[in-house]
Amino acid sequence: MKKKAKKPSQIAMRFFYWFCRPDFREEIEGDLMEQYNNYYINYGYAKANRLFIKEVILLFRPSIIGNFNHLSNTNTMEIINHNKRLVTILAIAIAILIIPLVAMNFTTDVNWSVFDFIVAGILLVGTGLALEFILRKIKTLKYRIILGIVLFVALFVIWAELSVGIFGTPFAGS
Amino acid sequence: MSQTTLGEFEEIVVMIVAILNGDAYSVGVINEIENRLNREVSLGAIQTVLKRLEQKGLLKSEFGGTTSERGGKRKRLYEITALGQEIIDQTREQRNSLWEAMPRLSFNLY
Repeated sequence: MKKKAKKPSQIAMRFFYWFCRPDFREEIEGDLMEQYNNYYINYGYAKANRLFIKEVILLFRPSIIGNFNHLSNTNTMEIINHNKRLVTILAIAIAILIIPLVAMNFTTDVNWSVFDFIVAGILLVGTGLALEFILRKIKTLKYRIILGIVLFVALFVIWAELSVGIFGTPFAGS
Repeated sequence: MSQTTLGEFEEIVVMIVAILNGDAYSVGVINEIENRLNREVSLGAIQTVLKRLEQKGLLKSEFGGTTSERGGKRKRLYEITALGQEIIDQTREQRNSLWEAMPRLSFNLY
């Protein structure tokens, strides 16, 4: 049975893909793979992988990185950044929901029912997802700011209406 | 006119590329340096020097073929240019003249 995949460290490979100039990637990736295969034959997987990681680290130098613009422009990084941002937005929404939950244990002024938590959760997560959608689809900073402000004003107004009923709609809270 | 001078490692790389005569690519140059000079070189160092020498016009390059051990990626093959040949010839002449100008210290010891 084959114990380990022959592939070298994928984290190191992704790191290389991130920092390497796009026009150098193909040849240097080929060189890295060829070196790794030579090491693998001579030293076995563990040492070959260590040497591979060392080679990647030693490639991290200005002549190979080139212009810094591509560092935030590669597809791989965009996906990683998008997912990281989405997780952060959802974590913030959950953190905001935890505030009344904690407060309920210390004061009677805050008294949320399960329904309140569900509505607030939908509102916050919905806003988070809408923000993520805006950031993914809109690339101009000006429009991102405008739509971001509109989104947060809408969140604030709906939240205020649901909690204290500033407009007196049928959904207004007391 | 600006003078093109070579560092020690650059000189070695230009000569190795000339020795490999059209088959020079980064891993091949590393292996050749290890075999001939018993010196370990990283891929980062060799790539940096090859790119710099190409920028200086001492080497030229084009994409070569792929092999399975390279994961299907093409290698970049380097060749020495006429300017590169001229520069290493000059370097050699300069070194020879310096060697000839150097007094034979060993004779003075006796």
